[in-house]
Amino acid sequence: MNPEIVPIHRKEFLREDGMLFVRTEGILETMVKAPLIIASLIVVALAMPIQTSFSSTRSLDLILYSDGSAHVSSQLDVDPLDPDFEVNLFGPSIDNFVAVGENGFLLSSEIIDDKVTIDTFGTSSITVDYDIHDLISKEGRVWTFSLDSPTDYSLLMPQNSIIVGMNALPSNMIIINDQTQLELSTGLSEINYILGTTNPPVTNPPVTNNEQSTLDFFTISIISISITAAVVGAITVIKRKQTKSLPVIQNEITESETKTNFHDPETIFNLRPEMREDDKEIIKFISENGGQVLESDLRKKFLQPRTTMWRTVKRLERQGVIEIAKKDLQNLVKLKKELEEEE
Amino acid sequence: MKTIVTFGLFILIASMVLGGATSNVYAQDDLTILLKLAKRAQNQVQNQISSESPDKIKRLFEEGVQNVNSLEKTIRNNDVDSAKKHFLTAMKIFTQISRQSTSSDVPTKESTSEVAAKTALDSARSSIKDPSNNLQRLQVYVNSLKTIAKKHNASIDFSDLDELFRLSKQQINDNQFALALDTLQKIKEIIVEVNKEIRDEASKQESQRAKEYAQKYLEQLDRLIENAKKQDVSDEIIKKLENARENLSSADNPNDIIKEIRKILSIKKQFELTKNDRLESRVLQVEKTISRLSQMDIVDQDDLANARDTLQSIKRDLYDGKFDTANELLRDLAKQLQEIKNSL
Repeated sequence: MNPEIVPIHRKEFLREDGMLFVRTEGILETMVKAPLIIASLIVVALAMPIQTSFSSTRSLDLILYSDGSAHVSSQLDVDPLDPDFEVNLFGPSIDNFVAVGENGFLLSSEIIDDKVTIDTFGTSSITVDYDIHDLISKEGRVWTFSLDSPTDYSLLMPQNSIIVGMNALPSNMIIINDQTQLELSTGLSEINYILGTTNPPVTNPPVTNNEQSTLDFFTISIISISITAAVVGAITVIKRKQTKSLPVIQNEITESETKTNFHDPETIFNLRPEMREDDKEIIKFISENGGQVLESDLRKKFLQPRTTMWRTVKRLERQGVIEIAKKDLQNLVKLKKELEEEE
Repeated sequence: MKTIVTFGLFILIASMVLGGATSNVYAQDDLTILLKLAKRAQNQVQNQISSESPDKIKRLFEEGVQNVNSLEKTIRNNDVDSAKKHFLTAMKIFTQISRQSTSSDVPTKESTSEVAAKTALDSARSSIKDPSNNLQRLQVYVNSLKTIAKKHNASIDFSDLDELFRLSKQQINDNQFALALDTLQKIKEIIVEVNKEIRDEASKQESQRAKEYAQKYLEQLDRLIENAKKQDVSDEIIKKLENARENLSSADNPNDIIKEIRKILSIKKQFELTKNDRLESRVLQVEKTISRLSQMDIVDQDDLANARDTLQSIKRDLYDGKFDTANELLRDLAKQLQEIKNSL
């Protein structure tokens, strides 16, 4: 009734002068179970977009003003099954809060301290905009921006500001007129800057690290192609099954929509003298295309990745130059008719 | 089987090798940025230092410059780790110098809100600060409101606001900051009214959206109850779910709908009935995509009809508790819809 418990390693033992022979043929399949691992990796790779598709920050852009306030603009994916969604704000001193759903409709919200509860009612993405007074402090002449970000983000520094210290490593930097825009990574960043100064002479021309976005696309392409190839290869070998591709449907903009009135680009540039040169090119292109163009066409024309173009379009929208409408599932970028009134 | 293994491993290794190569190229670009930032900071700090500056500050500056020089060298040698270290050290030193050289002016650290309060007090006492930033912020906010108003077809007249914005800009350009502040105050008052009008309009449409959402949720709840019955979940829990369903179907305003759904979520959580929520969320997303695609003339309606049939099959599978089949179908359907979207 009381069976002796024998440790497994005692059942077989090697003599001290013995030699261990291991059969190496097929060891990978028998021991490592490589096909299983590959299958698991493929499943993980396929599951990744699903895992990240709910309740995550898609983009985050910050603009710092010279009076120590900041504007936050963020796009978030939310679970369409939830009736509401709680967003952590970057502080409790919030002004001008606006939350809109995927169709551009205003969503009801309630701010309590540094949290806001937004009634989403099945929407799967929300855009949140607000001004905040908690991210910047001042000591003597030195202003300090500090943020523990949950995601990568862009940061537009105030005009006439010079960075004199930082504890983070930016992944990109663009100089826009007198303003520096940094791309920063997830985590705590602290940036110290001084205002009211003219930029010291820079020996090199302003850096626009366009190559990075191309490379980013390159990496993503390689990984995507590799995963796709692995999946297709495995499926082909195992099942000899071919996937049926859907017919390509040509994209078109209806004639009635192209007849919208719009401003002459030069008029827009005169009214917005601070506009960036690359933004002007975009405005010209939209104007040449009848005053409206799909965001995807802008990406193709200017060879910009999705997020970069999205930020550009949002910036132009903030300047009141364009408006973004939904055309079916895509963003239609339109020059605003009432530009003069807004100025 | 060996072919698959070899092929799979080849792909994985190729991804790693190529991925690693591109990361190195990123690092080179990052480093150039670091050097530019460090040099700008160095130039700025240099302007703050004079022959009368304390020796300690001068020594610190020298140390900072040495780090910038080392940063430049390490970039030439492609030594990424050292370059980052020199950058962070140099920037830390430059911050320290900036703080020390200005600490005699304002010794204590102030948050922005404290700065704002102090500024307001100072303004009242003497000169008034340039309110350009207030104007900018309000302009951005009003632009958002205009877009939202248009989306809701709310007939709101923004001409007064536009006129006041033009006036305040002019006043700021003329250095009439006190007048500009008065104008901005008027703008804020009008914004409060406009905001109220838009929210009234939005709440009417929100009510409809909330009902549609509740309807979808009820469908999902039916499937959950049906599965709970099949899985021999206790009658008490099923009764609770059925009561909650009843309450949700009779709720007709957004607040009540949220309240009832929260109760359902609580029941699901309490009795561990949430394992299919992710699947249900994806069904909702796919349903939305089909609905949007169906409004497009350029999409082949036969493709969409197939997609709708598949969606119905998925719902039936969920109803019957065939979650693996539903998951597989859902994945295929999502892929199919993505192909349609990509082809647009």
